Amino acid sequence: MAQSMNDEHILEIDNIGKTFRRRDDTDLVALDDINLKVKKGAFISIVGASGSGKSTLLRIIDGLLEPNGGTVKVNGKTVTKPGKDRAMVFQNDSLLPWKTVIQNVAYGLTLAGVKWRDAAKTAQGFIDLAGLSGFENQFPHQLSGGMRQRVNVARGMAVDPDILLLDEPFAALDSQTREIMQTELLRIWQQTGKTVLLITHQIDEAVFLSDEVVVFSARPGTVRERIPVPLARPRNLDIKRSIEFVGLVDQIWKLIEEEVKAAAKT
Amino acid sequence: MLHKLNRFLNGETYFASVARFVLSFGSLLIIWQILTATVVTNRLLLVPPFEVFRAFMDEIASGEMWNNAQATVFAVGTSFPVAVLVGVLMGVVLASSRAISLMGGPMLSALNSVPIIALAPLFIAWLGLGFASKFVLVLLVAVFPVVVTTEAGLRAADKNLIETARSFNATRLQIFTTVTFPYALPFIVSGVRVAWARALVGIVVAEFFGSFAGFGFAVMAASQTFDTATLLAYVIVLGGMGLIGSVIFQSLEERLAPWRKA
Ligand SMILES: Nc1ncnc2c1ncn2[C@@H]1O[C@H](COP(=O)(O)OP(=O)(O)O)[C@@H](O)[C@H]1O
Ligand SMILES: [Mg+2]
Repeated sequence: MAQSMNDEHILEIDNIGKTFRRRDDTDLVALDDINLKVKKGAFISIVGASGSGKSTLLRIIDGLLEPNGGTVKVNGKTVTKPGKDRAMVFQNDSLLPWKTVIQNVAYGLTLAGVKWRDAAKTAQGFIDLAGLSGFENQFPHQLSGGMRQRVNVARGMAVDPDILLLDEPFAALDSQTREIMQTELLRIWQQTGKTVLLITHQIDEAVFLSDEVVVFSARPGTVRERIPVPLARPRNLDIKRSIEFVGLVDQIWKLIEEEVKAAAKT
Repeated sequence: MLHKLNRFLNGETYFASVARFVLSFGSLLIIWQILTATVVTNRLLLVPPFEVFRAFMDEIASGEMWNNAQATVFAVGTSFPVAVLVGVLMGVVLASSRAISLMGGPMLSALNSVPIIALAPLFIAWLGLGFASKFVLVLLVAVFPVVVTTEAGLRAADKNLIETARSFNATRLQIFTTVTFPYALPFIVSGVRVAWARALVGIVVAEFFGSFAGFGFAVMAASQTFDTATLLAYVIVLGGMGLIGSVIFQSLEERLAPWRKA
């Protein structure tokens, strides 16, 4: 407690393992001994080949899935189920199609028992922050993919979590919209000071956004390498052309390539 | 000119749908009129539209139409909502537990494939002539489509939406009220639409054998006195009831799930 907040680890992942039982009763080891500590306010990305257990880890952190071993601690408390201190943003904009934008953004709050008037007020704030003003009463199917994903992120932010967990939130968007969303996410992160854990398969996205990129090995997922990103903030899209940036992307690419090749051999 | 008309009739406007209805209904009347004037001249078999209309007005004037309407509408109006309610509840129970579904499912589908209508005489023997037998028969024929679509709708609910609710720490009840049930609603309404058509068949058959008033009773009575015009007048009223229900439930279905059209 005497420690300054900035040095505290808001998220501590110790020896997490996860084995799934397949239909044919064989075991599938998805995660093997994951260890990771994340400082408060950090922006961390996880990259790795598909099937390397990234989503599984995020679900465990969120409390949706139980690990076979190890612990996840958030603010020093062991995670056993979903909680207010974490919010998840899924890849597919899992918005409720029968609810309007503002109802969707307020969804987590209303589930927590917040009165509609207060929930709507909070939701409005995040709608404005996410650049969705004027769309409050539209339904998801009336919005573009990019807009829907903004709603999705705003909904996660609205419950005021300490950690925002994002599972490939922009994967379904075209590259232009994705770049816009990346800068928007940076802006929102800077304004709110949340800790963000982002899964992505876009390496340049990971480098552009993060303080640190965690590279997963091929299945079973382990932390293969942690790459700090020393690029100055605030960042704009121009840095994607800097030599430093390109070098980092290249370095991470090679690591993942090695992993994929090694996995193909076995 | 014809091309333009065709484009108009294919349109989505309110006028286009009214025009479509008038056109199809009008052509039916014309074909009917021509048939009675040329091929089927035996008035016991078919009467021209105008005579049916006159019989309809006579029934209204004599108060018979009102009597029969009261009996039928009261029976359907009480048993149909009960059928929907019971059907939804049973569907919810079946969807809530795999074990119950596995045990109850086969029995339900066996029951569902029995032509319950054929049991009408039995119900009338048990429950007597009148309201009770009608109520039970309508309930039995109308409940199954609702059970089936409710269970299917609840099970079809988007797994991603359920996981999202879970990640916001939703309780089981909250997941039901905010995700699975709203998701299932349009399914349920489509079941209700099918159930409505079945309920009308049920009520008519029940009234054929087991009552002293009602549209079915009137159809039977008219057929026994070879009054084809009156018979058809009641059949058309029943057709109207079926159509109105179908239109209402269809539009409700679309209104409840506007995202499906887009
Ligand atoms: N519920 C589950 N049951 C069985 N296997 C699963 C389940 N969820 C994920 N898996 C398997 O675990 C592995 C890791 O999956 P996932 O975490 O989704 O990987 P990633 O997100 O990195 O692509 C995959 O092989 C996947 O098929
Ligand atoms: Mg994944």
